[in-house]
Amino acid sequence: MLVRNIFGGAEFLSMNASAGTRTRSAYSAEFSTPINSDPNLRLSLDGLASSTHKPWASHEELLKGGGLRLNWAKENGDRFQVGYSGTWRQLTGLAATASPTVRGDAGDSVKSAITYLFQRERRDNPMLPQSGYMMKTTTELAGWGLLGGDVGFSKSEMEIAGAVPIPIPGSKGPSGISIGCGLRTGLLYSLPLSFGLSGASPSRLNDRFTLGGPTDVRGFSLGGLGPRDGTDALGGDVFAAGSVNMLIPLPRVGPDSPFRIQLFANGGRSVAMKNQTKSNDTASGQRMTASSVLKGMLSATKEVGTGLPSIAAGVGLVYAHPVARFELNFSLPLVTREGEESRKGLQVGVGINFL
Amino acid sequence: MSSTAEGLKARPRPQEASDWFTIPAPLARLFKKFPLLTYPPNELPARSPDIRHVPTLYVFISDEDALKGLPSFNPSCLKWQTFLKLAGVDFCLRSSNNHASPTGALPFLLPPSTPNDTRSQRPIATNKLEQYGLDNGKPKLPESLGTRLEAYESLLDHRIRNAWLYTLYLSPANADLLTNLYITPTTSSRPVRATILYQLKHAAELEILKSTSRDAINPAHLYRGAKEAFRALDGVLGDEEWFFQSAVPGLFDATVFSYTHLILHDGLAWENRRLNDFLKEFPRLVSHRNRIFQRCWESGE
Repeated sequence: MLVRNIFGGAEFLSMNASAGTRTRSAYSAEFSTPINSDPNLRLSLDGLASSTHKPWASHEELLKGGGLRLNWAKENGDRFQVGYSGTWRQLTGLAATASPTVRGDAGDSVKSAITYLFQRERRDNPMLPQSGYMMKTTTELAGWGLLGGDVGFSKSEMEIAGAVPIPIPGSKGPSGISIGCGLRTGLLYSLPLSFGLSGASPSRLNDRFTLGGPTDVRGFSLGGLGPRDGTDALGGDVFAAGSVNMLIPLPRVGPDSPFRIQLFANGGRSVAMKNQTKSNDTASGQRMTASSVLKGMLSATKEVGTGLPSIAAGVGLVYAHPVARFELNFSLPLVTREGEESRKGLQVGVGINFL
Repeated sequence: MSSTAEGLKARPRPQEASDWFTIPAPLARLFKKFPLLTYPPNELPARSPDIRHVPTLYVFISDEDALKGLPSFNPSCLKWQTFLKLAGVDFCLRSSNNHASPTGALPFLLPPSTPNDTRSQRPIATNKLEQYGLDNGKPKLPESLGTRLEAYESLLDHRIRNAWLYTLYLSPANADLLTNLYITPTTSSRPVRATILYQLKHAAELEILKSTSRDAINPAHLYRGAKEAFRALDGVLGDEEWFFQSAVPGLFDATVFSYTHLILHDGLAWENRRLNDFLKEFPRLVSHRNRIFQRCWESGE
């Protein structure tokens, strides 16, 4: 439901309710208004209540929260956003075979965070890029200082993607062939709550990065990369993923159609910070000093570059609808880590942002 | 990487095959070669539990008390903790909450497991814990005593439990204690705490109403019931060491202890001391509680 121009100043109020298999239910409401009648400067207030099934880690996550965001855009199209959000997260509804790690993280936690987002879009067509580049960074600071909440960390994520058209010698006009590549990295650094007298808690399951799946590292199942406890994907504190793909128009259909054949190779690495002080007490993971967090993060970052990343390569068909991009890929894993869930064969991907 | 190149050429074929459930043998052999390189597994995050070779009982307890193996502050958790200790099962404790449990309520036990075997990670809920204790314990425990036991069990499960629920969850005098035990550890956020507290009180109220089949809660009635129940238990214990003239304490002793210990426990800041006062009128129950405590927590482990 969308109501435009409530008070006659280009405000809008949108309300959404949805239900499905993965997102069991989601209700959200957003009220957005321009500031000083400047369409490039908007303030928005939003609320959310959702329930999401996460089978890759045997649980269901309930979220209730709200936030306040300030968006602005420059003339050249760069978008910025700063915001605050407070969310009550409940990790519940565990599967019978849930691993001890997931059982340990079950329960309530509150995240109180400020976020900063920057996005520059210079691609000709984000769904089917032929040329140009995009850059996106997200930074989140949770629990530190006066923010409160139960989790403390700084979380940064960066994404870069670009494409170059490949002309065919001798033919005029765009060939429709292009080579694109993408890179995503992220780092989650545990911080002490408030002003840091009690030490930092290591990251929780729902704060860590999940990597793998048809829209990021293809050829792996959702959350297929990174540490696993049994069948549960636990996510990493540091990750890096990259892809190279070549888009070729279908023969006889031509470069103007939204269909392409895609050849791709992509890979990634997701590493969790492990506890340096191995001891026999069960609560050892509760608090860490600043130096042990730093040591843990350094060794995790080093681990990301150790050996080859987990890689899959394949070929597929891409259909770029204006709303979303659809991919049907056939791929085989080349390099994996034991326990990581790769897919041999076909995989369907639907999304708006592919690696 | 030469085999990679071969793989690339071979790829489009299964898409043409209309029936991809039966992959031709040469292709299947080729598929088996992938991945070409497999590294050892990723290491687990810092919060993953290290201890996997010992059974772990998930209970309501503070982290410090869990390390020391001290009694849980929740009667149903304490009942099974005591029973497993009496049965001589070697286990460790982990502080947890109801969201972690397969039944929606603590306690549950995770048997020793290996990460690659998901079946071994299946938790054991309370209805199977007695059998687990009897199978894995060292000393011989008394077998279940049938119908006679059931009559007394219902005293505990209804009358004493209702009075317990009222005293801890609904009695305004004990609001601080309830908050310290169940609310403060979950989150630091005030609105969330208030919501959880409300949900908890509401659940306790429903439990009592369901058990008493009445429209409203009558504290005087609940306390009268609890006092009668203590008197009956005191009578059946008599001057024996353990219930039902058993040579060793069993599950019933653990159940009685789970309430008597917490009611008498000085570490809990009871403001409403009605149950405590009642219990002190029955010295034989008090000394039964002391005997169990000594047997489980004071004899050198």
